[in-house]
Amino acid sequence: MQKGFEQLNYYEMLDIKPDAVPFEIRHAYNAALQVYQPGSLASYSFFSGDERRDILSLIEKAYATLINDQARKDYNEELISRGELNAEKVASPAVKKPVSIFNISHSPAVRIVITNNEALKRKINQSQLIGDILAQNALCGADLKKIRSELGVEIEQIAQETKIRHDHLRSMEEDHIARLPAAVFLKGFVRSYLKCLCLEPVEELSTRYMDTVARFPQK
Amino acid sequence: MAYIWPIGGGKGGSGKSFLTSSLGRLSAGLGKRTLVIDLDLGAANLHTLVGVPYPKKGFSDFIRKKTLRLEDTVVETPFENLFLISGAHDNFDIANLPYEQKIKTLRAIMKLDYDSVLLDLGAGTSFNTLDFFLISQHGIFITTPEPTSIENVYRLLRSIYFRRIRYCFNVTDFKALEDEVVIRFGSGSVSKPECMIKVIADVYPEKHEQLQDAFSAFRFKLIINQVRKHDNAALGMQMSRMIEKHLGLHIEFAGNVAYDDHVHDAVCQQVSFLERYSYTRTACDLREVSRQIVQSAGKQMVFNYM
Repeated sequence: MQKGFEQLNYYEMLDIKPDAVPFEIRHAYNAALQVYQPGSLASYSFFSGDERRDILSLIEKAYATLINDQARKDYNEELISRGELNAEKVASPAVKKPVSIFNISHSPAVRIVITNNEALKRKINQSQLIGDILAQNALCGADLKKIRSELGVEIEQIAQETKIRHDHLRSMEEDHIARLPAAVFLKGFVRSYLKCLCLEPVEELSTRYMDTVARFPQK
Repeated sequence: MAYIWPIGGGKGGSGKSFLTSSLGRLSAGLGKRTLVIDLDLGAANLHTLVGVPYPKKGFSDFIRKKTLRLEDTVVETPFENLFLISGAHDNFDIANLPYEQKIKTLRAIMKLDYDSVLLDLGAGTSFNTLDFFLISQHGIFITTPEPTSIENVYRLLRSIYFRRIRYCFNVTDFKALEDEVVIRFGSGSVSKPECMIKVIADVYPEKHEQLQDAFSAFRFKLIINQVRKHDNAALGMQMSRMIEKHLGLHIEFAGNVAYDDHVHDAVCQQVSFLERYSYTRTACDLREVSRQIVQSAGKQMVFNYM
């Protein structure tokens, strides 16, 4: 027979790992209550009244200890000193962040943090090519593409940031007039694109782009 | 040797026979030669469920006639690959199977030449049921999500646990053991196998180890039958986890089977539920449970009755 319930440590009692976060602890506590509560179907007739009371008080104690950061720390230390717990395992878990589901660019070398506006602005100011392009009277899609590749930003990153569809971005950059979205959308798209690359002034550049596109021969 | 699945559950009416016949049919449908044996001694009706209302021979022929082998009492059913040993014409005293006859039966079952053998056991916790259940470590427990049924299934589980401990001791040792348990844990604790095993660990360490091996070899399954819409679907998981924690027995939850009035219709019309109502929720559940059970079939360890 394995250890009796009263000999289990609090983590084992609640069926959680030593690095569980408070959300998991609360969840496990509720699940345990569902099983051991007096009216529960799962444990009906399995325990006598006294046994059930003992188990419930143990679970209460386990929950009260683990949910309190200080008490949990003390308890962990006690377990470590008893050799029941590995010191590395209880290291406070890394904060979980939202995970990007559009992580298409697989080459970490070219990936830059697009939100790092300062770096982008510095690059724009330093680059001769970008200065030349912005000095022109016209601004077409090919120019946008040049700027983008000069800054080392992937088209996927822009798509992810601006939530504009890939094919729209691509037809904008390739000046594919027939496939461009309606002007009213295009204006918004190009503005987001410019904002995403920290190109300024957005208003003026987008107007310049729209004028340039309007002068293209219609096919 | 055949793969043996004893199917039991404490309470009557929880669907043991129905599930045996359904699992038998599904197993036969996979092309395995399947034998279902009606060991619900004294209350047999598996034959009705597998479409043999008037079987020519049955289990008690094997008990009555010394020369007959168990294989000779097998009857064919209308389903391909599915065979039956019926209890339809059992003697009226069959419920109290004498010990020698039981051992003879157990040995004969072990020697059967089929791919899988399903034993339909009776309700209650008589020694016959317990011994037949312990023939293989793949016993299947069936319960409905009702307190009465759950109470009985726990009772059955503890009885089996006890019975397995009992195998290791002779009468006097066992009596001494019981007395020791009462001294240590108080008078109510004799019915608690978890207390008894603690005493064994102290008094007979080598037997304790032997029992530990036996218990860890058990691959019991739990099926919750007749689950209605509003019932707690997580019940089986909770039960199996609790049993593992408090009794140290590994019992795997194989699935819920939904309640369906059509089962009643199929039984009344004496047709196969799986064929007539093959697109119902219940039929899907049965197929899923059967898949689970067939998949988990590992190596079978044999308890020695010699």
